[in-house]
Amino acid sequence: MHTATKAPFKDRAKAALADRTLKLAIDRTTGTAETKRAAAVANFPEFQAARDRGRAIKDHVIANLGHYLEMFEKNATASGAQVHWAVDDAEARAIVTRICLDAGAKIVTRSKSMLGEEIGLPHALADAGIERVETDLAEHIIQLAGEPPSHIIWPAMHRTREQVADLFREGHNPPPEAEDPATMVQSARRILREKFLGADVGISGANFLVADTGATCTVTNEGNAELTTTPPRVHIVTAGVEKIVPSTAHAFALLRLLVRSATGGEMTQYTTFHCGPKRAGDADGPEEMHIVLVDNGRTRMLADEFREMLRCIRCGACMNHCVVYRQIGGHAYGGTYPGPMGSVLTPVLDGLAASRDLPNACTMNGRCAEVCPVEIPIPTLLRAWRTRSWRERLEPGSLRGGLGLWAWAARRPAIYRLGSRIGVRVLRLFGKGGWISHMPLAGGWTGHRDLPRPPGRTFMEEYRARQKGTRK
Amino acid sequence: MSARDTILAAIRAASPANDSGAIAAEAAALLRDPVRPALAAPALPKAFEVKASALGTTFDHVADMGAVPQAVRRYLDGHGLPPSLALQPAPALAALDWTGIDTHPALAPNEPAALGLALWGIAESGSLVIHSGPETPILLSFLPLHHIVVLHRDNLLAWLEDYAGKLAAQAIPRNAILITGPSGTTDIEGSYVRGAHGPGFVHVIMIDGG
Repeated sequence: MHTATKAPFKDRAKAALADRTLKLAIDRTTGTAETKRAAAVANFPEFQAARDRGRAIKDHVIANLGHYLEMFEKNATASGAQVHWAVDDAEARAIVTRICLDAGAKIVTRSKSMLGEEIGLPHALADAGIERVETDLAEHIIQLAGEPPSHIIWPAMHRTREQVADLFREGHNPPPEAEDPATMVQSARRILREKFLGADVGISGANFLVADTGATCTVTNEGNAELTTTPPRVHIVTAGVEKIVPSTAHAFALLRLLVRSATGGEMTQYTTFHCGPKRAGDADGPEEMHIVLVDNGRTRMLADEFREMLRCIRCGACMNHCVVYRQIGGHAYGGTYPGPMGSVLTPVLDGLAASRDLPNACTMNGRCAEVCPVEIPIPTLLRAWRTRSWRERLEPGSLRGGLGLWAWAARRPAIYRLGSRIGVRVLRLFGKGGWISHMPLAGGWTGHRDLPRPPGRTFMEEYRARQKGTRK
Repeated sequence: MSARDTILAAIRAASPANDSGAIAAEAAALLRDPVRPALAAPALPKAFEVKASALGTTFDHVADMGAVPQAVRRYLDGHGLPPSLALQPAPALAALDWTGIDTHPALAPNEPAALGLALWGIAESGSLVIHSGPETPILLSFLPLHHIVVLHRDNLLAWLEDYAGKLAAQAIPRNAILITGPSGTTDIEGSYVRGAHGPGFVHVIMIDGG
């Protein structure tokens, strides 16, 4: 990923927590998403059985990844597409940029793809002097704002409608006539229409790579993907190697899970299979189709304890239901992928040393695993990163020292109990009316919520007293 | 070593290759007894219409192809549109009597209305199926504001898997598209707005008879 120098995670989280408008924006979208997903799951009583099947399909593909990638390559090539392979983000960027330059591209339209973000495509196109036009509405919003996505399904989730209105007033000529979402969407339709038809290259991602046909599949709601991939002379698809499925029918089994989990719908408006370039006699379509298969850490995950993460179908349900994401939003995480799934993936992509705070920014409440449509044990994987971070001695000295002290005391019950007796009584000194709202050294906690004032005695003291009582 | 060989070697090192016959058998077993939601009604036309209507698709019913131009006229008049239409270059549509409606093959960037044929309708999801080809420009389904689609009730399929079976039985087209309702977006605060870049209106003329 293209990483600029960033503030440490804790500073970004602190800034996000202080931003009330951000909290409002996140609440509006995640609240709707949570309600709609629950309704969609309730309307599909076999959802758990569908989940089991979806998980089994992904596990089957992961166990036979080489077989299916070779099958996909053979069939995609037979359809006339050119298949490229990229070991890492730099190779992927270079391949896509080279194809664009060879095509003499001045304007490139892009339909939303998280993999494109992961490999740093926006910067690479800018560096090559190519005009990039984001066509998904949310991507259009953040392109106007000069920001990266803050969510994998709703990249502009961090922006309220009022903020979008400000961006459109500046960025659209003429500006929208009103500031309600419907009028603003119409304004974007008008602005982007000419770009679609004037682009030299269209770039999309893929939700699925279908091995037995060689087709790539995108699912979208706006219609921008087909307007991106049909008019230009060249269509480029960038996709992670884990997107493969055996056949179209397997893709449909996963699609039923993906849409319900992502937006709470049952089916996206457009489910499109792209199989090669324009055929002889076809009424429209690109002359060239290129598919870039990207590894970028995925084969490393296949070999270690993060293998289950390759099941991820990028629905975003884990972040919509995450108590931490809903407080700080996506940008605070600092990686391409935010929230729980991002906290597993970012250490793979950016290195654990640079991202060890992310697996720790988790309450382990398990909501992400409960709503995951392919049952990825996200808390377990986050714990695995914590363990590795400890083993690699990446934790700061203060934390290692503190935990060492705790471990020393925990092995000496008498000292431990004495310590907790003192601790409980000291804590009570700061409480007022059942709650602690200020305490030295605890501002990180009490700045955002009160701590319950503990009862006068420790658990062991209460336990002993009650045992005595029952013996009477 | 090429990037391809590096990636495939890393995969082989992490997961040993299995026998391709065994892989195919396991893949087929994963499709047995598909887990899918119930249809919205026992009869396919009703089930399809319930699902598609819920997403904003509107319906008209005619007895045969000959009645399609009148149905188109009804729709255009109902929406206050001029009697003008981009027509999919398919012989079945060209053969109809278009007296009173100006039909044209070319699509303007802001085409108000277009008429095309759907190959199938899928009752499970209320989806219309379009395949690219010499007679089917893909942009016809995406540029217009009003997309009118002719669908024969004999071409209704129950489930997504039934369509996958049809697709597997033929030469796969460049584009195979399932259109499920008008284009829309929830990108501003998660609230749904109908009509984004694709058509804001999808209208199905269902051929009920011969």
